[in-house]
Amino acid sequence: MTSTRTEAATAAPDVRGKARLADREGFLAWAMLLPSVVYIVALVGVPFLLAIAFAFSDVTTGDPSFDFVGFDNFRAVFDDGVFWRALRNTLVFTLASMVLIVVFGKILANILVADFHGKWFVRFLVLLPWTTPVALSTISWLWFLDSIYSPVDWVLRHLGLIDGNVVWLGRPGTAMASVVAVQAWRLTPLAAVIVMAGLVAIPRDIDEAARIDGAGFWRRMVEVTIPLTLPVIAVAALFGAIMTFTDMTVSYVLTRGGPTHATDVLASWAYFRGIEGGDVGQGAAIALFLFPLLLAGAIAILRAVRRLEAG
Amino acid sequence: MAERLTRRGFLSSTALAAGATGLLAGCASESSGPQAKTSGNAPKEVFTSPTRKLGGSLSILMWSHFVPRHDKWFDKFVSEWGKKVGVEVRVDHINTVDVPRRAASEIQAGRGHDVIQHIAPFSQYEPSVLDMSDLVQEATRRWGRQLELCRKSSYNPNTKRFYAYCPGWSPDPGDYRKSMWQKVGLPNGPASWDDLLRGASEIKRSTGVPCGIGLSPETDSNMAARALLWSFGGSEQDANERVVIDSDATVAAVDFMTRLWKGAETSEVFSWVPASNNQALIAGRSSYILNSISAWRTAMGTNRTIGDDIFFTPALRGPKAALAAQHVIQQWIIPKHAANADAAKEFLLHYTANFPAVTYNSELYDLPGWPSLVPQLNGWLDADPFGARPANKLALLKTATSWSTNIGYPGPSNPAIGEIFSTNVLPTMFGRAARGQVSAKQAVADAAKQIDSIFKNWRSRGLVGG
Repeated sequence: MTSTRTEAATAAPDVRGKARLADREGFLAWAMLLPSVVYIVALVGVPFLLAIAFAFSDVTTGDPSFDFVGFDNFRAVFDDGVFWRALRNTLVFTLASMVLIVVFGKILANILVADFHGKWFVRFLVLLPWTTPVALSTISWLWFLDSIYSPVDWVLRHLGLIDGNVVWLGRPGTAMASVVAVQAWRLTPLAAVIVMAGLVAIPRDIDEAARIDGAGFWRRMVEVTIPLTLPVIAVAALFGAIMTFTDMTVSYVLTRGGPTHATDVLASWAYFRGIEGGDVGQGAAIALFLFPLLLAGAIAILRAVRRLEAG
Repeated sequence: MAERLTRRGFLSSTALAAGATGLLAGCASESSGPQAKTSGNAPKEVFTSPTRKLGGSLSILMWSHFVPRHDKWFDKFVSEWGKKVGVEVRVDHINTVDVPRRAASEIQAGRGHDVIQHIAPFSQYEPSVLDMSDLVQEATRRWGRQLELCRKSSYNPNTKRFYAYCPGWSPDPGDYRKSMWQKVGLPNGPASWDDLLRGASEIKRSTGVPCGIGLSPETDSNMAARALLWSFGGSEQDANERVVIDSDATVAAVDFMTRLWKGAETSEVFSWVPASNNQALIAGRSSYILNSISAWRTAMGTNRTIGDDIFFTPALRGPKAALAAQHVIQQWIIPKHAANADAAKEFLLHYTANFPAVTYNSELYDLPGWPSLVPQLNGWLDADPFGARPANKLALLKTATSWSTNIGYPGPSNPAIGEIFSTNVLPTMFGRAARGQVSAKQAVADAAKQIDSIFKNWRSRGLVGG
């Protein structure tokens, strides 16, 4: 009897202690945040610092020993014409994709907030590109755009729009257009969800007041909806830009940077030089060049958003 | 009414879900290629007792062979060897394009597989791998002289080290559709680059079917670029590893490629992945490609009529030579971090001793680096054991060593050559001129600048001579 009572007496404070721990907001906040912090430090922070160190070293894939080489890697990279081509391609790829992502994201968001039959199915289809693993979806596109078996060409041929195959990935112009289109297809659902959150936050009475004043769809869109959702659209654009600027999967899988470097972007060129070519130092120097550009772009867009919100 | 989800309940469910996901992820593993049907005519395997007592475990990372029968045979072969010598062996087959990045990450981490096999030169790993000189010496003592192209693809003359062990290779002949070439008066296919230009242009003009020499950033286009370059007397480096790409011979080769592309090809060749030329040939969308025999073997399995219409040519004759790059070069490396290097070396000797089985089970895809190992080879090439029609379709491969050479010819396959290959400098050089983006002379000058810079970089590390 005595021992049983003692066990019960010691167990009860334990349960109370656990209950208190699980109900403490501060503890839970840290517990919830900790995985993200660990993830960011381990998979973003450490590699970033490593990239800086590698960019000033002579590390290769076959020789991990570290020797400081100063700015040699940067000098070699800047002296390479392909690097400047890749930088230009990166800017074109990012800007074109960003415009398409924002425009189609806004259109899709409007569809997603509307009430109609089968809405859940349309939402499912719209979100599919975003939820499919990027390598898998890009490989599907590789087949869609195949020079011989392209179903896209087959449809266009049967509609009488083309005679022979377009060879989308074999010409510099159509190859870049294809890469941009696939990237826009992939990221549009994300932009749509972000913009949708902004749309549902607009008070209904503003829209109703505009209707009563006789404003039509386009006038409400241009003078009410877009101005009120502009900060959210800017956030969607920022996400799209960052995710495109740092992406190499679409270009690597579809064209491996070809034809003749027409779709090589900084991320893919860094990979080719650093991993496939074996010169980790120069690869890191190319990859590091993304950082100041991204930082400048992010600061500019966030400042614009703040100004919009203040206004 | 459903119960409201409590915070504690939510935490418990999340933990359970996370655990289950981890368990599932842990169960996932790499898999080998599709299963092949077996044959009863395979050569007998031999077993030589190891020179030292072995134990522990051995892990092997290698490509998924293009011929599925090989992997099925190899896994059984290595497992039986492990049982006999008391070594627990694990083999991971992965896609060949994933091997370099996997090797890089393992070497950076200082842990991973005991043996890594790749099918392209691995010279950049020299500082982190064991010297294989003892193994090559032992193999040479047992089986005679090693092929020069295998030696040049695994030996660094500057450091005098074998950074890789190279017991096998595959040739890169021309593959053509006989029915198409018959119509232009060349039933045996082209014999020279001029024949190719004339015949392929005529085929394209009359049937719309183009030639399939790739100009894309991928392996086969790289091989084709080198074959053309060497045949015109150009090369990236000389025998002493000095850069010599900027030459009249290179400009002439680039000019020729421009004419070939304009007369006989389409933009398709700029978009190709390594499998594309195979698909084009089999689909009747290409009259001639440069590739191994695997495209034809695939066609034999899927459409016999097409398979029977595919024939081969040796390296095409150019103004200065008739040379082709090897298609696959076996590179076995043992990283310094390998826990069981003794077992790895003993296994590689056992594998080499059984090269007749390697050649047979790869359906004559892998040829021996020590020719004396497979005395049956010429007989198989004269009478294909896998049903070629005619049976001697592969007989031209009997002379393959005379028209094949290593990447980097006339010098060794050093890390600079590896980087030039991986960053697709040569297909880009040919492609820019073919598209008219720059003149042939300018394309060569731009490539020479890149190549010079790459050589300078690796030379400063003591891995490249000149």
